[in-house]
Amino acid sequence: MKVSLTAIKWQGYNDLFDLGVDALVEKIGAQLGAVEEVIDLGKKYDGVIVAKVVSCVDHPDADRLHICLVDDGGVAKDVERNQDGFVQVVCGAPNVREGMLVAWLPPGATVPATADKDPFVLEARALRGQTSNGMLASASELALSDNHDGLLEIDQAQSVWTPEGDKNPAPGMPFKLLYGLDDTIIDIENKMFTHRPDCFGLLGVGREIAGIQHKAFKSPDWYLEDPTFPSGDGLPLTVKNELPELVSRFVAASLKNITVGPSPIWLQSFLTRLSVKSINNIVDVTNYIMLLTGQPLHAYDYDKVKALSDGEATITVRHALENEEITLLNGKTIQPRKEAIMIATNKKLIGVGGVMGGADTEVDNNTKNIILECATFDMYSIRRTSMAHGLFTDAVTRNNKGQSPLQNDRITAQAISMIIEHAGGEIASDVIDEAQLKPQKPVTVTAEFINERLGLQLTADAMRDLLENVEFTVVINGSELTIQAPFWRTDIEIAEDVVEEVGRLYGFDHLPLELPKRSITPTRKDPLLELKSQLRDRLSRAGANEVLTYSFVHSKLLERAGQPADQAFALSNALSPDLQNYRLSLMPSLLDKVHPNVKAGYDHFVLFELGKGHNTNRLDEDGLPIEFEILEAVVAASGKAAPKGAAFYEARSYLEYLLQPYGIDLEFRPVKEPSLLPAMQVFDQQRLALVYAKGSDKLIGAVGEFTPSVRKNFKLSHYSAGFNISLVGLQKSMSASSSYVPLPRFPKVEQDICLKVSTDLPFQELADFVVAELHKARDPETRAVITPIDSYQREDDPGHKQITFRISIAHFEKTMTDTEVNGLLDVVAQAAKTTYSAERI
Amino acid sequence: MNYQNPQVAEVAQLLKNRLAELPNKSDIFKSIELKALYDELKVLPADQRAGFGAEVNALRQELQGLLASGSQAAEALPPIDVTAPFDVNVAPADRPVLLPTEQGSKHPLMTELETVLDIFYRMGFTAVESPEIDDDYHMFGALNFPEGHPARDDYDTFMTTQTDKNGKQFIAPAHTSTMQNRVLKQYKPNLAAGEPIAVVIPGRVFRNEDLDARHEHTFYQLEGVYVGKGIHAGNLIATLKTFLEEYYGKALEVKTQPFYFPFTEPSFEFALSCPFCDKAGCNVCSYSGWIELLGCGMIHPNVLSEAGIDPNEYTGFAWGGGIDRLVMMKNNIEDIRHFESARLEFLRQFS
Repeated sequence: MKVSLTAIKWQGYNDLFDLGVDALVEKIGAQLGAVEEVIDLGKKYDGVIVAKVVSCVDHPDADRLHICLVDDGGVAKDVERNQDGFVQVVCGAPNVREGMLVAWLPPGATVPATADKDPFVLEARALRGQTSNGMLASASELALSDNHDGLLEIDQAQSVWTPEGDKNPAPGMPFKLLYGLDDTIIDIENKMFTHRPDCFGLLGVGREIAGIQHKAFKSPDWYLEDPTFPSGDGLPLTVKNELPELVSRFVAASLKNITVGPSPIWLQSFLTRLSVKSINNIVDVTNYIMLLTGQPLHAYDYDKVKALSDGEATITVRHALENEEITLLNGKTIQPRKEAIMIATNKKLIGVGGVMGGADTEVDNNTKNIILECATFDMYSIRRTSMAHGLFTDAVTRNNKGQSPLQNDRITAQAISMIIEHAGGEIASDVIDEAQLKPQKPVTVTAEFINERLGLQLTADAMRDLLENVEFTVVINGSELTIQAPFWRTDIEIAEDVVEEVGRLYGFDHLPLELPKRSITPTRKDPLLELKSQLRDRLSRAGANEVLTYSFVHSKLLERAGQPADQAFALSNALSPDLQNYRLSLMPSLLDKVHPNVKAGYDHFVLFELGKGHNTNRLDEDGLPIEFEILEAVVAASGKAAPKGAAFYEARSYLEYLLQPYGIDLEFRPVKEPSLLPAMQVFDQQRLALVYAKGSDKLIGAVGEFTPSVRKNFKLSHYSAGFNISLVGLQKSMSASSSYVPLPRFPKVEQDICLKVSTDLPFQELADFVVAELHKARDPETRAVITPIDSYQREDDPGHKQITFRISIAHFEKTMTDTEVNGLLDVVAQAAKTTYSAERI
Repeated sequence: MNYQNPQVAEVAQLLKNRLAELPNKSDIFKSIELKALYDELKVLPADQRAGFGAEVNALRQELQGLLASGSQAAEALPPIDVTAPFDVNVAPADRPVLLPTEQGSKHPLMTELETVLDIFYRMGFTAVESPEIDDDYHMFGALNFPEGHPARDDYDTFMTTQTDKNGKQFIAPAHTSTMQNRVLKQYKPNLAAGEPIAVVIPGRVFRNEDLDARHEHTFYQLEGVYVGKGIHAGNLIATLKTFLEEYYGKALEVKTQPFYFPFTEPSFEFALSCPFCDKAGCNVCSYSGWIELLGCGMIHPNVLSEAGIDPNEYTGFAWGGGIDRLVMMKNNIEDIRHFESARLEFLRQFS
């Protein structure tokens, strides 16, 4: 929202700016909304001087040029003057003539229209042999409008506002004193005013600027007072509002015998300064009122509307019909969405209500009669229509904040009076006012309620003053305040809204900064976040790298990983197919990141991610998707960096290391039947183990290598494996009990036992057997540690493998001998022979 | 393979790209571009024909080669004993060991989140994560977004094609506030016991935004909720200031700017004096001396009521801020897209 400080001054509020621009901007930021930019517009006009053309003769050597002498009151420095003190300027404008008052750009001045891009600085130079000291400027060169047909003629009779009082333009006056050009534009972020439609008008912002400085603001009389309309006739008009629930008020009137032409320069300048294009006096007046109040208006050519009506000029507010088209003022033809609020005659669409008018009924230079519209549209409907058709106009910016319908009548009255002032004509119909107005309800609140929420101790009187400054009506009864918001405010509905208003006007920067009081009850840390933090720490300490990848993936990524894409939640409005589906598990994303890192030169690494998986088949009792909290990791090595053996065992060793702190006796079970879980589909069933706590049926996770097609699809080397862990599964399997065994004081004896068994005997089965037999055989007063050492298969004997365990044993009461330990191992070997036909090597 | 003839080279590139997309790879030989090359061969002057022909044949051979190598599935590997701790016939010295610690890294966003959480734990807040998928009620209804509010449109918020039990689309939360109603309900018994509700909520959130160096559609936020007796807006500002001073390890100035959120009243945008230059001006704060960091406000009475808390008896505040930005500012990270890139080159700088 661009705010012209000069325009607010011109409305009669000069005393709001004593603070100076910098301090004011800071105050606006703290109490109104973030200021994005401050533009010193007057700077553009530095050096431009009001001058009078005292003589004007034809250039002897050029047809279109004139040689002028100008009187600048002697203000310009370092310029060549004649004996009378006048300066010679060569001018090619067709309208230049003796006696006119113009804007002179002396040598050294910058052409204002070029100031923002490629500044053009004037100098004294010869034009066909005659010296021109700078130039006389057109409105376009002065960045006032697009008009470059001739020089800007300054009206000597039109007095201008200056800090020293009103003055008439005269030679030597700085040009920027004219037309409000000595202006500062403050751009306040629009989103600050999401709930403040009134602040999309200069009066609204001016009122706030007064309020936050604790100064009283009084709106102009025409805005505060109930309007009276002169009755008119000649141009009958019918309005049918078929959408009263979306258009709460529709005010319209016709005017006849107007003369369309350019607006006065001050108005053109006003619009240009606020980045609105000057069109003609009619459109400019509607925009002026909009910029002042926030309420958009629209003018239609009456005769064009009538021609498109069946009989009398008729305006209907309705939805668009199927396949109905309209060509807009911007030249585009659209088929409006069927929910759009449309303005139509009884035959044809003539405007997208509150968004943009239609080309068919545009006010042009030949327009004699107009219809003026001032309506209130449903803000959400306006926004959707604007988004659906990509139409972003000043009217949309204001209408989608929900303007107060209580102001339409007075705004219409002011617009009519301004149109008659600038374009002549008279009112030619009754002012039609179709309205469904809800009365504003007063809010009652106590001073304590407000103080408690702000941490302040303001009196009810002080609160009343703050509110009355911005034209609220406040009645105090004891400590109770009954507050009636002014009619333009749509945001004051509950007591907390008044808290905000009081706090903001008082100054949130003056609130007491006190911490809440707390007891010393210890805080509970979140178990899941704590677990994640531990896992993350432990894996990163083991050289693994934590990654984060998108929660949304391409369905093709799921397919490449062998996962059922139809079980993935799908976005209806994804940015691209790459982000179409929620993940079922993390592994496909991790695998997708392996090859790029290999290509970047990393030949052995472990990536892991902590994240969530979702499945359309898995909803909780409230019908919400269950979030599977998972950790997944991938181990990858290529070329010479790949260790010997299968990658499975590296992944497995990571998983064992990772879960070591949780006191779980892990069991790695081969897969008997193929799993249907999506997360398992990436794994080669022959090289996959499901991970459980020993003897339990609570699945903790899985570790495995990938199927040949997954390896191919993700360009993985044969040395690739991964694991997944369900964090909930892990939490359920954790054991708090310690497995610590006291250390014997006597020395330990270490001996190896190597057993040759059938290749088909699972390692774990033999290991469990050895442990069980040893524990059976040993003296309970010992501490025994059994460690697998090796697994060896002779090339010439594929039917067998030799597995070696190291037994380390110590007694709590005595020193054990080798003979005693040998005896124990003999017992174990004998048992293995009986059960597994194991041969001791 | 480099082709001398530019026409052949162009077709070669085109067909190689197409090959990757074709469901039936052998269809590549039916491409009209390839046929056009053969057609051209027939009409070429005799002296050019030989050279051109050799190139076209080479292209055909290259495509055949690509096709053969592509159709060959990766080799299947034999079963292994997954119950064993190591592979057979791999000597202990040759077995893989865990990678060196100095190579490992935690994701910088997660490290920062842990740092932030630690401070809030010490300040007396508990924590819970927000979900990556939620329903309309928690995202909007419970947060005082009226029906028809533009945030409910899919212009801003990702939604699923699947719907909840009320027939409304599931939502990819655009902010961690989606957890507010749940934590207020869960910790409501605190209030009766004279303790406040004090919870921070970290989470991954999503916005319908095009990617560039400064904008991500996926990022991390931390929400805070504090409700108790007599809690006022001054408490909110003091709490955030205290956190930030602890986080940056120095005294800071803070300021608020009025803002609008449906779920807080009043609402603020919260800024701190730039901790990197102490307001002298630097590129982190765009030479303004201030950093706008988060949105906050007093919890709207409707939000409290919706969770069964009487807004006349209890008041509270809430805030939400991005984690990504903290990390980018702290480390001078130039491109937000690095975070989700999984590039080791990036990640290992945070070892």
